[in-house]
Amino acid sequence: MSFSSSVVQLRSGNQMMAEGAIQAGCKFFAGYPITPATGIFKTMIDLLPANAGVALSAPDEISAIAYCIGASMRGFKTMTATSGPGWSLMIESVQYALMTETPLVVALVQRLGPSTGGATQGGQGDVLLAEFCTSGGYTLPVLCPTNAKECFELTILAFTWSEILRMPVILLSDKETGMTVESIDYSTLSNATSQNRPSNFAFRDYGEFQKEQRKGTYYIDALQEIPTFAPVGGDRKVTATGSAHDKQGKLQKNSPETIDMLIHLEEKLRWRHDDFSLVNMDLQESAKTLVISYGITSRAAKDAVGAARNVGHAVSSLVIQSLFPIPVKKLAQALDGIERVVVVEENMHGLYRSVLERYCNGQRVQGVNKIGAMITPKEILNAILG
Amino acid sequence: MKLPPITNGFEIVYKKPDTLTDTPMHYCPGCGHGVVHRVLMEVVDEMKIQDKTIGVAPVGCSVFAYNYMNVDMQEAAHGRATAVATGIKRVLPDRFVFTYQGDGDLAAIGTGETVHTVNRGENILIVFINNGVYGMTGGQMAPTTLLGMKTTTSPYGREAASAGFPLKITNLITQLPGALYVTRQAVHEPNAVRRLKKAVRLAFEYQLLKKGTCFIEVVSNCPSGWKMTPQESNKWMEENMFPMYPLGDLKVPSQTMN
Ligand SMILES: Cc1ncc(C[n+]2csc(CCOP(=O)(O)OP(=O)(O)O)c2C)c(N)n1
Ligand code: SF4
Ligand SMILES: [Mg+2]
Repeated sequence: MSFSSSVVQLRSGNQMMAEGAIQAGCKFFAGYPITPATGIFKTMIDLLPANAGVALSAPDEISAIAYCIGASMRGFKTMTATSGPGWSLMIESVQYALMTETPLVVALVQRLGPSTGGATQGGQGDVLLAEFCTSGGYTLPVLCPTNAKECFELTILAFTWSEILRMPVILLSDKETGMTVESIDYSTLSNATSQNRPSNFAFRDYGEFQKEQRKGTYYIDALQEIPTFAPVGGDRKVTATGSAHDKQGKLQKNSPETIDMLIHLEEKLRWRHDDFSLVNMDLQESAKTLVISYGITSRAAKDAVGAARNVGHAVSSLVIQSLFPIPVKKLAQALDGIERVVVVEENMHGLYRSVLERYCNGQRVQGVNKIGAMITPKEILNAILG
Repeated sequence: MKLPPITNGFEIVYKKPDTLTDTPMHYCPGCGHGVVHRVLMEVVDEMKIQDKTIGVAPVGCSVFAYNYMNVDMQEAAHGRATAVATGIKRVLPDRFVFTYQGDGDLAAIGTGETVHTVNRGENILIVFINNGVYGMTGGQMAPTTLLGMKTTTSPYGREAASAGFPLKITNLITQLPGALYVTRQAVHEPNAVRRLKKAVRLAFEYQLLKKGTCFIEVVSNCPSGWKMTPQESNKWMEENMFPMYPLGDLKVPSQTMN
């Protein structure tokens, strides 16, 4: 790797995502420039070739994500990065990756929307657009870092999740997290790489080939099973299709096996739900108020929680890093004994709050929301004390 | 006491076109965008078609075109300018409709729209500012970037083996029967500006014929993205861009109209 040997370095969240991707074993990146995500693209262009990888400039986001899917079908760990306008264009192929069970990491560095919106204005307005981008409402893992160091760590985790689940994973960052330059102490970073998809690259003799080739790349015995990946251009015939398909990857309309395969796409994550959750909990036993935050607003929330405690006000904090699947167990734990929940997010009317509300039972849920500027600790403190 | 205008007793030979607003332009010093804006509005003034002209701006450095061009200006989503212009022109066929797009907008993300708009022969004018980079996002490699040219995303220079060749999209669309008038111009020196103005005037007039798409490429500079002074950038453009993108007409109506 070509990172500097000096231990403390100034790095942006975008750079750290790229460095995390390299450490995770990402060998293929394709991108199209868009503020505030261009830094990831630029860093991958700088780092990947020296790390035996391929970094490509695509003519648009539709191509960028499709290049990645092609490379991932061969077994490469791949990544692309964009912001809201480009994400909108990628949604078709994100679904294709889901349907074809192709691992892929997409960094979505949010800016103010809708449409072209504000290229240099941050926001947290894409939370639901990221999650609910599939027809059928499939659960896609969405990981959300709050600082440059987490950009590194969660990127590696995103690769692991995407590989072992064989599905696209979204890294939901934002302009401030992605572009703010912070001190990174490299000695505190883990050396761990990401896990690999269960795969079958092995050469097999002809008899076995015949037997196995029926299995293609989708074969499962139970709905929740993750099928063993077989690469294109390998020893067994592999068919992949974005159309509804049976276990052999053959297009079918609505045969029972095909419907099973559609259910399987959700089931493989739902069944492992609890293994795919990540939060930072800072609970106070006597607290009646819980502040829930994610991404950049967590940093203001942390200050506000500290300030409230300084004036003797007990308050708990839950920073959610795995926005989806919703970490229900940890959420329930944090909600225990709580009467009031304050959800802080930089969007107009509480996008994630609208999803969390149904998991709260009896608590009063209120939001601290704003668009066009960052939420301040004072605004959150007022909500905590108010 | 009211002073007499300083122009009293003089003949006005040169002034800012009325259709260009007084708003100071945000473009970097020496950037070609501003000159092209001016030329377009000069023609609109001369043809007295301000109230009949509708422009569609891109996403790119010229997102703010509406601040400078005092005609109806719609900023389309990135790459979709000719598609939006198609919709406008189809329901307002008697208006002068033009798009104004960078090379990223027109020849990368908007390639499909560009090809199909010209192929249908939409009666619009497409103004294409080719500065060989994505200027707005900080000077990344575009499909039009020259071989060997260093950009933030081609730090060692563009290589054909991995990034392909400079896309001469103007030559490509010239082949389409829907293209009525196709020309490649520049704004690096006064004579070039005059030639561009003639081309713009012709293109607006041709719109009345309803015989197909007019397409004007302006080979331009991006001093900031190229990391050069304005003067260096013009010189570099002449020496490097013009050999790849030679100036002149690629298709004129007489070839298409019989
Ligand atoms: C869908 C989408 N992708 C990417 C962007 C980011 N973006 C804004 S302008 C631009 C490129 C502009 O380059 P060009 O069209 O050559 O215009 P110039 O600034 O050079 O005049 C890009 C990639 C965007 N706004 N929307
Ligand atoms: S970045 Fe380039 S294209 Fe944009 S205004 Fe500056 S010089 Fe012109
Ligand atoms: Mg350009």
